[in-house]
Amino acid sequence: MTGPRARLGFFSRAWAVCAKDAAQELRRRVAIASIFFFAATALALVSYAVGPFGLPPEARSSLDASLLWIILFFSAATGLPRAFVREEETGTGLGLRKVASGVVVLAGKGLFNFLLFLAIAALSVPAFAVLLEWRVASPVALAAVVLLGGWGLSIVSTFLSALVARAGQRNVLFLVVSFPLLVPLLLPAIAATIQASEGAVAQTPLRVLAAYDGAATCAAYLLAAVVWED
Amino acid sequence: MKYLKLLLLPWMAAVVAASFLWPEPAKGFLGESSRIVFFHVPCAWTAALAFLVAAGYSVGWLVARNPRFDEVAETAVRLGLLFAVLTLLTGSLFAKIMWGSYWNWDPRESSYLLLVFLYSAYLFLRAAVDDRERRARIGSAYAVFAAVLMPFLVFVAPRVTASLHPQTVINPQGKILMDAPTKTVFFAALAGFTGLFFWMLEIESRLARLTRERRQTG
Repeated sequence: MTGPRARLGFFSRAWAVCAKDAAQELRRRVAIASIFFFAATALALVSYAVGPFGLPPEARSSLDASLLWIILFFSAATGLPRAFVREEETGTGLGLRKVASGVVVLAGKGLFNFLLFLAIAALSVPAFAVLLEWRVASPVALAAVVLLGGWGLSIVSTFLSALVARAGQRNVLFLVVSFPLLVPLLLPAIAATIQASEGAVAQTPLRVLAAYDGAATCAAYLLAAVVWED
Repeated sequence: MKYLKLLLLPWMAAVVAASFLWPEPAKGFLGESSRIVFFHVPCAWTAALAFLVAAGYSVGWLVARNPRFDEVAETAVRLGLLFAVLTLLTGSLFAKIMWGSYWNWDPRESSYLLLVFLYSAYLFLRAAVDDRERRARIGSAYAVFAAVLMPFLVFVAPRVTASLHPQTVINPQGKILMDAPTKTVFFAALAGFTGLFFWMLEIESRLARLTRERRQTG
């Protein structure tokens, strides 16, 4: 089957996987609540330890940007790996394999993780700005960084979640395998955030983020069927 | 491969001797520290090459499902880890001489530390899966995925941020900033380390195949 009907079929199926994950998480709420609680705790800790006036003025923009992305990354790391691990824990992986291909499942779970990351960022970034008196001269540039960084983080985390889902020591293993792959995303994200807070649009870091997102998405798409095999 | 082995010994001996005796130390470097380029850069190149070889054999396994390809891929990663560690050690010696400390979180220095983490993550991932077929499939998928993103780690990220590291062979001017003797010894070292890698790869992967065959025959 080719043409518009097939494309609509793919997106609607991916959306169905995303909606299933969202319904599952919202029904129990424990996992989602723990992610937001982690973000709140990290924010509170940083704010209490450093405070709005605890950083030297000349280093504020780089330290604020770094702290923000540390909070976002580790908050996401508590929740994003659950994408495929949840299916194995609840025993629904086999059923899902019967009805959906690897590409559809990866797209749906990647989309859910992206929306989850955006929800974390939507709460964390304003709270961070208020608690640490962080002024962002270019909110549009910051939004672009969060969107690009969030997509890369989500797609890589979703793919790696599929890899570690049926391995031992899953939680520790996820951090071990994801950290070296996510650093090339986080470094330009921090650089772009620094420039956004100073009012500039960081063209080079944003281009690097876009290239990284494109490469990760293509690689995940091509390998989806392999990691989804029984 | 037998002829490669016979050629490698005199070749590497000549490279080591020439690196200390022939080119003059480069300007802008303290003492004889510039000579480390004949060992440090080939180790770095070989570490990156090893991962690309692993990714290539991983693609081969995904296509053909031949266990031999998986063995070669894993062996390539182990050797890549060795050369990445050697890169860090030689780089740290240079950093101590030039900048006064073995480690200062320079982006280029740190990129190879992360490459060590990447290799280690591949081996951890494989060690966490008991089933051989699934281990090969997961390892191959990770190697290919990581190979796509590795250039961002090794080539892009260190160039986005400011670094103390001397200008690299691949630089914005597109010129090799070395005199003729240095260039000759450098490329000879590069060829020697590449040959050394492939020789070690052949031996190690042959050992892995013999171990597998012995296990299968009981």
